[in-house]
Amino acid sequence: MAKNNKTKKQRQTTGIEPLNLSAQLSYRGAGNPPNSHPSQAISNCFPGLESDFRNVWRRIFVGLEMNEADTVVVKVEDRAPAELQNLLNKRLLKVDGQPVFVHIRGPHAVENPGPDFPEPQGLVGNLPSNTPASASISGMEWSNALAHVISKAGQAIECIFQGNRPSEEIRVQLIIRSFFDNEPGNETAAGRAVISKDLIRPGELSQSLCSPWQNDYLECACYYWAASRPDYVNVEPGPDGTSRGNNWIQKDQSTDAPRSYTLDGSKLLSYDDLFRAWEKLLKFQIGGKDSE
Amino acid sequence: MPAKEIFEIRLLPPLVIGRLGSSEQPLDNYEAQVPENDPLGYRRLVGAPTFLVSTKTGEITSVTKPEVIRFRDEAKLIRPVCPFVEVWARFDKRGALVPLTSEHLRELDLKPADIKWRVVAANLKVSRRTGDKNDGVEANTDWFSDHAIKQLQGKSGNFVTNKFILFGSVRYIRPNPRFPQIRLRFTPATGKVYGPSIGARDANVVETVYDPEKGGWLNFFDGQRDTPPSTSPSDIYAGTDIDNGRWHISRGYLDDECSGTIEVEFTVRGHKLIAYSHFTAGPPTFAPDSFPVRTIADELEQIALGPNVSPADADQEKVIDIVRRALETVRLINTAVMNGNQGIAGLPVRAGGQFANNNNMAGQDTSYQRAFTPIFDPSVVDALAIRARHERVLMAVISGTPAWFLPKLRHYTEVGDLTDSGRRKMPGMMRGADALYLALTRRQYNLVKATAPTETDLENADALGNTIARGGSHGQKQ
Repeated sequence: MAKNNKTKKQRQTTGIEPLNLSAQLSYRGAGNPPNSHPSQAISNCFPGLESDFRNVWRRIFVGLEMNEADTVVVKVEDRAPAELQNLLNKRLLKVDGQPVFVHIRGPHAVENPGPDFPEPQGLVGNLPSNTPASASISGMEWSNALAHVISKAGQAIECIFQGNRPSEEIRVQLIIRSFFDNEPGNETAAGRAVISKDLIRPGELSQSLCSPWQNDYLECACYYWAASRPDYVNVEPGPDGTSRGNNWIQKDQSTDAPRSYTLDGSKLLSYDDLFRAWEKLLKFQIGGKDSE
Repeated sequence: MPAKEIFEIRLLPPLVIGRLGSSEQPLDNYEAQVPENDPLGYRRLVGAPTFLVSTKTGEITSVTKPEVIRFRDEAKLIRPVCPFVEVWARFDKRGALVPLTSEHLRELDLKPADIKWRVVAANLKVSRRTGDKNDGVEANTDWFSDHAIKQLQGKSGNFVTNKFILFGSVRYIRPNPRFPQIRLRFTPATGKVYGPSIGARDANVVETVYDPEKGGWLNFFDGQRDTPPSTSPSDIYAGTDIDNGRWHISRGYLDDECSGTIEVEFTVRGHKLIAYSHFTAGPPTFAPDSFPVRTIADELEQIALGPNVSPADADQEKVIDIVRRALETVRLINTAVMNGNQGIAGLPVRAGGQFANNNNMAGQDTSYQRAFTPIFDPSVVDALAIRARHERVLMAVISGTPAWFLPKLRHYTEVGDLTDSGRRKMPGMMRGADALYLALTRRQYNLVKATAPTETDLENADALGNTIARGGSHGQKQ
């Protein structure tokens, strides 16, 4: 009896309410370190490290496949309704009344003089319908752009696409897929916190990352993933009170290396270095200092 | 109460991340704790219950709590992150989800061998670019119920015959009386580079697997005709620039990263139960005591709960967490470099007619034809100064000050604002998933907003000639 009571109590204390999405999403799993959880995985994916999370949005509209990094239709399913068939290569502009693009504002370069970018014309500017975003507008990241409609899974919502002319718009009703595997009306599935298989298939979460992944450690301006891929390490105050330290990918990894951050390519690890020996060359940083 | 039926099963966590490393010893479990006596300091990595799995039997033999967390083994090899995925079940319509155990199975006249698993993992990096489905690399364990290690052998239609890339392995952990839970473990690959069969030896690759006679990955270039739209950013594969960098020609490299799906199913009294979860494999966290300011967990929370936060949901602790993560990120960045300061870090002021230090947002902005200028005044962006600023903000929110800095946060609709004032909003000098300036998720922003002082707070503070005092009309945990 005592054993049964203990078991019952144990089960209650370890339980998760089936509709509690937050509890499921924050659950780390017994024995799993924190860096196995999405809370230590970057999501400003350009393109990403552990995954390119932008890929989860590609099939959010039933019948269409969108570019993971742009608001352009790259595929229309054969079985999609006729009104969707002419959306291939069209740019999505608004979803449920809210734009999925932003205007670029700021001072022009000297070679393109002018106080600011020109005011957009037509729907979004003088933008051909099937070209990448121009300098005057840019597609907004899917995650924030669609945050207001994710709760409308299964519903038809109005979407506006750029037509063939700047002032032409195409209005269609698109159905939003369930993000999680909990399609409306399925009582058993209610509250499931796993991303729907309809949205993401094996390999797709990582398909637009670097190949090989080591490239991402040396590519463009990616140092803002510093919590995963450190940049400025062994930082300490210099004689003048400003910082001095090392570039995480500098070749001289000795403990007595001068505290002098460099971007001189000849002093930094190369692609080939990383392809061959990343595991040996890159150091863990604990407390901002070289560790193992 | 014995289990009489199972209403449903789920796999938890719903998404796990394995991390590469070639050690045979998985990374231990730990907690990354904010030190109580140093709230602005680095998190301390404190050992947490860690399962030791018998290589021979596949069962958990003991649980330990490591005193020190080591990221490398004795041979200096990196210890991979090998997450467990657990089956959870609810035994009636109104019950809670609880971990499924062999004890439950016995009560249901089942045994562990009645549980079936299937794992499909793939690396589609090449097929995403070439558009050739045969360039997809996929491993499929097919259904299994035993406790042997199942290699994830990634195969491709364009590989040399019988060649594969090893994505790691999975194992159905054998339940025993002490550790009866039903779980599977994913062990990722080691982080190796694979290449094409071209006759000559390439010191970068551990094995030649790709057959350039079958597929077009070798010498592929982004923008090639009849291929899918390039990734964004483009040209992010090992390659050689030609024609003054106009084209980036692929060296035909592949890696052993993957992402995939874990499926589990079994039948109880004629009722089939099915669940699945996702996993991905990425590089190690090289600064494990720091957490990124915007994470996949933040995305999932926004998706689950929506972008809006009511005043009743205002939680100062969450704001503290966001600010702390901003500090943890910025203190590992050379902010003077990222700001676009010139004549530093061993670079000349100009090279090739351009400002030399341009591998940063100030430089990226010129792709929108914006004038190149540093983002902030170059004299105030030294890393220690920026770090101190973040520490002061963190200390203020820890002490209960409402989030007065809300106007300094970048709203998600402002990511294209490349004016001086627009670029100086927070998070600063960082890039978002759309290549524009990073904004927090709308929900993160609204969490801060929910604890920000109201107009009334500000008016009262002005009337008192005071700064915002501890507390406010909302935002404090009661």
